[in-house]
Amino acid sequence: MSPYVESIITLLMINSIAAMGVSLLTGFTGIFTLGHSAYMALGAYTTAILYMGHSVPWAIAIFAGAAFAMLVAWLIGVPTLRLMGDYYAIASIGLAESIRLIIANWQSLTRGARGYPDISKFATFNVTLAFFLVMGALIFLLIHSRYGRAFKACRDDHVAASLLGYNTARYRVLSLVISAFYCGIAGGLLAGFLQYLKPDMFDMLKSTELTAVVVFGGMGSMSGCLLGTTIITLVTELFRPISQYRMLIYGAVLVIIMVLRPEGLLGRYELGPRLLRHLFGRKTPEGTEGRG
Amino acid sequence: MGIFLQQIINGLSLGSVYALIAVGYSLVYSVLLFSNFAHGGFLVVGGYACYFALKTLGFNIWISSLLSLVGAGFVAILVERLAYKPIRERTNVTLYLLIASMGMSIVIENIFVVTVGGRFRALPPVIPTAPVNLGIATTSAFDIISLGVAVVCLVALQLFLSRTKWGLAIRAAAYDLRTAGLMGVNVNRLISIVFFVAGALAAVGGIFLSVRYTLYPQLGTITIKAFVAAVIGGLGSLPGAVVGSLILGLSEMLTAGFISSQLRDLVVFSLLVITLLVRPTGLFGKSVGEKV
Amino acid sequence: MGALLEVKDMNKFFGGVQAVADMSFTLEKGELMGLIGPNGAGKTTIFNLITGVYPLSSGAVFFRGEEITGGKTYDIVKKGIARTFQNLRLFGASTVLENVMTACQQHYPYSFLEAISHLGRWKSQEKNIRNKSMELLERVDLAREAHRAAGTLPYGHQRRLEIARALALQPELLLLDEPAAGMNPDEVMNLNELIQKIHSDFQLTILVIEHHMELVMEICPHILCMNFGAKIAEGDPDHIQGHREVLKAYLGEDEEEASA
Repeated sequence: MSPYVESIITLLMINSIAAMGVSLLTGFTGIFTLGHSAYMALGAYTTAILYMGHSVPWAIAIFAGAAFAMLVAWLIGVPTLRLMGDYYAIASIGLAESIRLIIANWQSLTRGARGYPDISKFATFNVTLAFFLVMGALIFLLIHSRYGRAFKACRDDHVAASLLGYNTARYRVLSLVISAFYCGIAGGLLAGFLQYLKPDMFDMLKSTELTAVVVFGGMGSMSGCLLGTTIITLVTELFRPISQYRMLIYGAVLVIIMVLRPEGLLGRYELGPRLLRHLFGRKTPEGTEGRG
Repeated sequence: MGIFLQQIINGLSLGSVYALIAVGYSLVYSVLLFSNFAHGGFLVVGGYACYFALKTLGFNIWISSLLSLVGAGFVAILVERLAYKPIRERTNVTLYLLIASMGMSIVIENIFVVTVGGRFRALPPVIPTAPVNLGIATTSAFDIISLGVAVVCLVALQLFLSRTKWGLAIRAAAYDLRTAGLMGVNVNRLISIVFFVAGALAAVGGIFLSVRYTLYPQLGTITIKAFVAAVIGGLGSLPGAVVGSLILGLSEMLTAGFISSQLRDLVVFSLLVITLLVRPTGLFGKSVGEKV
Repeated sequence: MGALLEVKDMNKFFGGVQAVADMSFTLEKGELMGLIGPNGAGKTTIFNLITGVYPLSSGAVFFRGEEITGGKTYDIVKKGIARTFQNLRLFGASTVLENVMTACQQHYPYSFLEAISHLGRWKSQEKNIRNKSMELLERVDLAREAHRAAGTLPYGHQRRLEIARALALQPELLLLDEPAAGMNPDEVMNLNELIQKIHSDFQLTILVIEHHMELVMEICPHILCMNFGAKIAEGDPDHIQGHREVLKAYLGEDEEEASA
């Protein structure tokens, strides 16, 4: 594999890890977020500062970064997620902006807006692959457990869920914290891959991209989100010359999908036999499929 | 003492501009029960419309403002018809509307980036900004004018809502949209009117913000502060949006004046979190109970 | 032991509207009680108040002697109360089986670690959840539809599914909100049988809101009739059928129906 292809795939895997986190939160638990780049930023900068500034082994630094992201997520999540509605979405924008501001202004710690340079490369292809496979497996296993069903219940009908004994606020916060962990790890890997960091790498564009790939791939499908990430990452790589149109395209994707096909590419189906049966097999009896 | 009063007036002026934006946003929320994130886009449209009317078409401020209001109003209607109407007719999952609104916000912002470019533009100096001495404090004519205009607009809105037929219909719809429709109100037309009003108000805000901060496509992101103001005041409450905006404007200006300009946005975010912790329905918000 | 459920001087105001007025009643363990009254009488509101969906304006609710007034819904449910909904609240896009499993799994827990590794108790508990859920589906005669999206079921089947899901919580008290709504006379008869069967098989205490008189009068030895939020009669079917206030409350409706 040529170094170029290898680096594309590494970037793809890093983006996928973050996207899987957002998919759990938005696709499976129904919580819209517009600021998940904040958790990537927290993971990335914590990792860089601990690793380069304090000689902490990178493996520990990455987990420390992700843990910090989880903590912040929990602090924001508890007050905002016990309320149904758009409160978390609004707070997430504020959070992302605040984090970006803090990073850009705390020069002594983060080297500010000019960027944190010269991080030794630890996120090699193999390291990233290992993280990707393990974290991917864990989240697939999680969804196919009682937690997956609980998250979906909170998403589909929170009143019914609470009348089945579910503390929906707790599950929503749990989903957020896990998603923050995934974004934190992705951020840490990003630091070790790009070898430098700048606060505006974690801006609205990044947050929007994360949400867009999940929506595009299918809310409620983990393999859909991987598919979405792959397609969008590859397309933006191939169409680098039109990168100024990237944001415009992400925005248009969100609108078009919501209007024409809100279930995205794969809907709630994972890649597998059930999907094939749904696409090509005998159709199940007529009826209105309840939307979540 | 002079500085303190100055910051108060600054704060009120800024807050009144936020109020124009927050009120439009709250109006849409009260009728459709979702956060229209594209609201910032209307602001930007208003700003650019005014700019081009002044600069390229050479109209005076009055005509330019009118064009700006009408233009933004129509863009708002267009956004509603293109993106929101198809979704709300098919489903009542507000998450889809939320995502679509985010998409529209990005699309509008980036249309400007791609067509007229992202550079900062100063509006031709048709609104006086000369300092005005009030005896106990010095402020700028601009602050007084923007405060005055905001008051006029809000009073006009209040009269519209309380004295006209459509105003009554909107108030009914804010209470219960479906029932208003059953009572003979043309729901689609009502929603278009609501969006037109919201767009027009945002345009006024956009014009003043363009003078304050210069005009650029991402100016719309300042709407997040209006959202926070609306939450503080109570989502869906118009008086709440005004009060929340004033509180926000004052907090921002007092922080900028006495602590640090960088921390302004952090203060905004903190106020949001505090509100959600202490009184999530905001100052005047009604908690819309779900019918079980 | 005292009553399983005791509602004492329950009041609920929605702004200026009084939805429930000084409601008091007790439900002994093992009873099958009917709650009837014209539309808007406040019956569903009482269910919502008991399960903590709405807070009481005043009054108290006791379950198994313990006060549950003001408790959180999920806590109250865990104490042993389950309900179905007037307007159906199924997870429409999920399968029939998944709907029941989501309720069933509350009694077959395993840890987060076991969930992300699929080790330990995951396998055995998932098997239990699945089997128990299928059992319940068989009881309500929906086993064949297990893998259909719940929202595609015919209306009557959806109602049965909600009952199965509620049963999966292994409750002591079951609140059924108009389970026969939209059913034809044959289906109502089947439902009658089903309710009586689960009443005895699971030793449940059941409170049923219903409009179908052939259901309520047939299977409920104890009936409470309300109107405008207040109790207007309570007793056995004969007492209720002959009660002046009950006839008054319903007669108006009958006249309109006759002339419609």
